[in-house]
Amino acid sequence: MNLQTNITVVQLLKIEWLKLKSYSAFIVISLFFMVGILASNYIVFSFKKNVVDKADPIGLVSSSSPYDFDFVWQTCSYVSGWLLLLPGLVLIMLVTNEFTFRTHRQNIIDGWSRQQFINVKIAMAIIVALAATLMVIVTALLFGFASGTSFAVTNFESVGFFFLKALTYNMIALLIGVLVRKTGFAIGLFFVYLWFENFISTLLEVASYKLKENYQFDAGNLGDYLPMNAADGLLRIPKTTLGDLAKKAVAMPHDYMYIGLALSICYLAIFFYWSKNRVQTTDL
Amino acid sequence: MAILEVINLHKTYGKVQALKGVSFSVPKGAVFGILGPNGSGKTTMLGIISDILMATQGSYTLFDEPPAANHRSQIGTFLETPNFYHYLSAIKNLEIAAAIKQRGANDIERVLQIVNLTQRKNSKFSTYSLGMKQRLAIASCLLGNPDVLILDEPTNGLDPVGIAEIRELIKKLRSEGKTIIMASHMLDEVEKVCTHVAILKKGELVVTGDVNEILAHEDIVEVGADNLAQLKQAATQLKGFSSSKENGNLLQFFYPLGTANLARLNQHFFNNGVVLNHLTVKKKSLESKFFELTN
Repeated sequence: MNLQTNITVVQLLKIEWLKLKSYSAFIVISLFFMVGILASNYIVFSFKKNVVDKADPIGLVSSSSPYDFDFVWQTCSYVSGWLLLLPGLVLIMLVTNEFTFRTHRQNIIDGWSRQQFINVKIAMAIIVALAATLMVIVTALLFGFASGTSFAVTNFESVGFFFLKALTYNMIALLIGVLVRKTGFAIGLFFVYLWFENFISTLLEVASYKLKENYQFDAGNLGDYLPMNAADGLLRIPKTTLGDLAKKAVAMPHDYMYIGLALSICYLAIFFYWSKNRVQTTDL
Repeated sequence: MAILEVINLHKTYGKVQALKGVSFSVPKGAVFGILGPNGSGKTTMLGIISDILMATQGSYTLFDEPPAANHRSQIGTFLETPNFYHYLSAIKNLEIAAAIKQRGANDIERVLQIVNLTQRKNSKFSTYSLGMKQRLAIASCLLGNPDVLILDEPTNGLDPVGIAEIRELIKKLRSEGKTIIMASHMLDEVEKVCTHVAILKKGELVVTGDVNEILAHEDIVEVGADNLAQLKQAATQLKGFSSSKENGNLLQFFYPLGTANLARLNQHFFNNGVVLNHLTVKKKSLESKFFELTN
């Protein structure tokens, strides 16, 4: 049954590109995302420069900027991480469009295997996450040099965490798209899920506190182990003074970073498997 | 060689049994009509063959081999609805289809010409009328000139001219030796173009075989006389009909299409001392045959 058309990954991706390149919503959201990353980082950058530095001209509180090299990778990744719902929307539309136009059927009727159909969507989730990451790298370089410091790669792992977070959001979006099929419903569910995870996380925070008090069991906030939070927790406000001035980040204790990393990868594996299984075993 | 062989195919949707063990075989070069009323399981079966639906039980082969994706790219299939990207033009949609099939990329102009869409080839699919969408779907099937076509209600939504054009197209493809599997609830459509037929009813195969044997027309001659016993006696020496039956006070004789000769029949009874008071010929419609088979 799995004998496949002799078609390369590059050819599959070219076909996916044919579908996307004339799709106006894709272009609009991509532009929003790019402008959004630049704008949100610029707001933080200029807040530090124009408000914090003016209030503290001799640098008593903050001698370094979060956009100095060393910190810039982390800051850009953290700030840009808030915009990752947008690539998620692109993934949802990429998937649900096929169901809306019933082209998911036609692609398979015309000779793709079900496996090829879902594999190319997963590949798109990875590519979109990579493109977003590239955008963050460019932005970080831009602001790093704009703050007048010399290039350094310290803290570059944050960019890797950003990629993981982007991929997690994209895969959640893809999975929701494959499961519910209807564009509006899928987008709604994506936002509801985001809210729901935060809501559950708050409840778990209370439970975690009780566990710690009553049973001396301390694993941080259990809510931080949920899929989106685990990925969110990898990216934190840099430990500059500005970071301390900002609201305390909802993140895992530092010790749990490796757990968060392992968890994110596990969740991704689950999302990959679940979406593949769904497409390969149900009526389309 | 069997292009398609369906073996004991079952499909259930929850409690509904859409297919209840259907088996048949499509020989190479056949124009194979799958006939049945709405909801008889035609599209479900073609959906399973196209791997968009999962069979509950049973199997099928394509080209005498276990089915695979690369078989599907060798078959031009149009199933149920024209499925295209609404925001793309006909040309761009066909480019995608050709890229997936890995054939027919330089065939796009030709197929658009065949279905008369050349003038609208750069319009978005969303601006097309139902008939145009239907024709684009048929164009997509023809990409790369495949040897096998699967068409599900190909003339749906077409105007009379469009229907005639598609019929001519199918006849032309048949003369080129292509194998065509076509689902339809339009009897005359099947009768006019098909060589073989399978009739489905509520998920079960009623009959399959040569179209001329299954959908054969008959002339029905009805005769009546004052004395029924005498009439029956005279009828025993009558020849040429394939079957007969009593229908109230009348006798019915079934003749192969076009062979009933009323004058000779009248003469026969008169020579045997029976004067007919009723003599008519009825054409048995294809519809009544269809009802007979599916009711």
